[in-house]
Amino acid sequence: MPAVRANHLYKVFGKRASQAVTLLSDGRHRDTIKDLDVTAAVIDVSFEVQPGEIFVVMGLSGSGKSTLIRMLNGLLPPTSGTVEIDGTDITALSRRALRALRGEKISMVFQHFALFPHRSVLENAAYGLEVRGVARAERRERAAHALDLVGLGDWKDHLPQQLSGGMQQRVGLARALTADTDIILMDEAFSALDPLIRRDMQTQLIQLQAELGKTIVFITHDLNEAMRLGDRICVLRDGRVVQIGTPEEILNHPADDYVARFTEDVDRSRVLTAASVMEPAAGADAADWERVEPDAPVAELFQRVASCDGPLAVVDEQDRVLGAVSPTAILSALAAPEDAVPAPAGGERREEARR
Amino acid sequence: MSQLLPFPPRLPLGEGFEALNTWLKTHFGGVFDTVGAVIDWSVTTLRDFLTDPQAAQLTALAALVLAAALVRARPVPVLTVVGTATALYVAQAAFALGNTLVNHAPPHLFLWAMHLFGQDSVDANLVIGIVALAALAAVAAVHRVRLPLVGAVTGGWLAAILCGWLLFDAVPGVIAQPTATLTMLLLTALAWAVAGWRLGVFSLVALTVVISIEQWDNAMATLALVLVASLIAVLVALPLGVLAAYSTVVSRVLKPVLDLMQTMPAFVYLIPAIFFFSLGAVPGVVATVVFAMPPGVRLTELGIRQIDREIVEAGEAFGAPPLKILTGIQLPLALSTVMAGVNQVIMLGLSMVVIAGMVGAGGLGNQVYQGISRNDGALGFEGGIAVVILAIFLDRLTAAVARRAPQARTATA
Repeated sequence: MPAVRANHLYKVFGKRASQAVTLLSDGRHRDTIKDLDVTAAVIDVSFEVQPGEIFVVMGLSGSGKSTLIRMLNGLLPPTSGTVEIDGTDITALSRRALRALRGEKISMVFQHFALFPHRSVLENAAYGLEVRGVARAERRERAAHALDLVGLGDWKDHLPQQLSGGMQQRVGLARALTADTDIILMDEAFSALDPLIRRDMQTQLIQLQAELGKTIVFITHDLNEAMRLGDRICVLRDGRVVQIGTPEEILNHPADDYVARFTEDVDRSRVLTAASVMEPAAGADAADWERVEPDAPVAELFQRVASCDGPLAVVDEQDRVLGAVSPTAILSALAAPEDAVPAPAGGERREEARR
Repeated sequence: MSQLLPFPPRLPLGEGFEALNTWLKTHFGGVFDTVGAVIDWSVTTLRDFLTDPQAAQLTALAALVLAAALVRARPVPVLTVVGTATALYVAQAAFALGNTLVNHAPPHLFLWAMHLFGQDSVDANLVIGIVALAALAAVAAVHRVRLPLVGAVTGGWLAAILCGWLLFDAVPGVIAQPTATLTMLLLTALAWAVAGWRLGVFSLVALTVVISIEQWDNAMATLALVLVASLIAVLVALPLGVLAAYSTVVSRVLKPVLDLMQTMPAFVYLIPAIFFFSLGAVPGVVATVVFAMPPGVRLTELGIRQIDREIVEAGEAFGAPPLKILTGIQLPLALSTVMAGVNQVIMLGLSMVVIAGMVGAGGLGNQVYQGISRNDGALGFEGGIAVVILAIFLDRLTAAVARRAPQARTATA
């Protein structure tokens, strides 16, 4: 059973929303129904997120990604379609039941941290448990544990504004972790941070996810971030889904020019792995080749493939040879595939994509 | 020959207003009487406390402050003490139970204190207050919570009592108005504690000036009037502001009503206020409430609406119910703006209270009004100066409270 399931979700703001949904479901672009005086934020979005997966929703501003994530925990009711959390249709729940479900199953991390400025770091982290009525001593202990996990154990009694941006977002993360929900929604959680801090936070999130096995829905406008974090990526454009796939699928088989233009800026060597660039090693004598793991990023292979004569052997845990990685294979994989080369007129788009 | 269709026809706007008032008074006269009685009692009690504080009142106040500070840390023992003390006060008021108890207790317990303060009787209320205060201090001492504050309050109380005794009995004849001096010192201490030493020094000097121009009793009567009126205005304004922040419809309906309340010449409120509550302090308070309330409503609404949407969403995202979001997130974060509104309410109230002197509300307004009617410039000026001093005192005090609110701290950090 998927942890989160969006089923033909629509969110249209305005008085004639249902009329707009009918038109949009026929495939009309949202710009063609401007005369209805509605804003179509999310159009016919369906996906499933499996337990323990990091699912990234990527799109530029105005693509409806923030609206989408707010429908996943019922902060916004969808105009049409359903959201299922662990098989429960949350669009059919009463407000009370919805609040209870949020408290137990879904927590959220916000773009601008949304910490409570009048509460200490510890009280911020303990908020989810406080809402659920957990006793003071226990919730303080669990919040302290979560703060230790994100490396803020010494800052418990400070106020949020005494912390730097990266630390504040760690408090936001600790608040979500303390609530101890299986699902965490992250709305542009690292977008407001400096690039270096952002990298640290990404690394920390990957580690935490590996330790705790949370299901994470992560929103971003940065494809590099999406590629780095995501098990699967959903690309949104103008409210509609353009493509859903693993980072490698997006990189190697972009669904259209729009996605392809995004992938231009991606550091392919960090997304592609040894397994995805290897060639068959049929019959070759691989016994004395240097060995690499299948999921090693290509970026880590440059040095090793340059320093030895032959190709590298990609081996599984039982030391069986799966394939070979030669310098040629790496170079041809790093060059964007033929069908993904964007039209030269895409300059403007690229600027937009970088922002 | 008269016109067939006079345009515009004479609208009975004023007559309608009068008729409405008469209808209200005939049908809901009891409500107005009750409200009037409550307001009158509050103003009188507060004024009497400010002009002539009793040791028993000071003790009860100190105990109340301690209880408020301690109740969150140790609710059970603190509430027990407060409950017992309240029951004793009620019993004393109803059938002098305290007097009976004091009379049956061994006399040595009280004789030395009576001797020290030169009194010839024991005030049962004072004894109840002292016992409650001691019990609360003991609770704090046993559990070791908030000891500095407890020390400051009990120490301050002891200082006030000793100071009062010194002023009244030990050095008679030196200080002309001992009760006024005592209250002035208390207000100065409050200003110092809340807003720092600058306002403390200002209060000491400026309030002494008020005593020396013999306007103290009038100033305290005005202060009592303003405080009661502001309290009522805030109690009405706060829920209205919250409603307006939650509902755009309420906000749109309230806006013209508030505009009307604020721009209608303040004198106009006095006419129906006298009609409903006759002369005295009560119509003054009612007119002040109507005139001073709008900024309280507006700034409460603004304070809640300007909170970052994401922070409120964070509360919702963790499953907090609306009431918890209001009390735990929205009101605390709106506090600095709300306090700015309270500040405005008090300032408007002070300006209105002078006008209210015309209907016999007493206090400084009365002095100014007398100055006008007798063409007595000296009296009018002294009354005016006292109003200014009160205004500065109250303004800086409430502004200091607003500065300490969490939102303000965020902005400066």
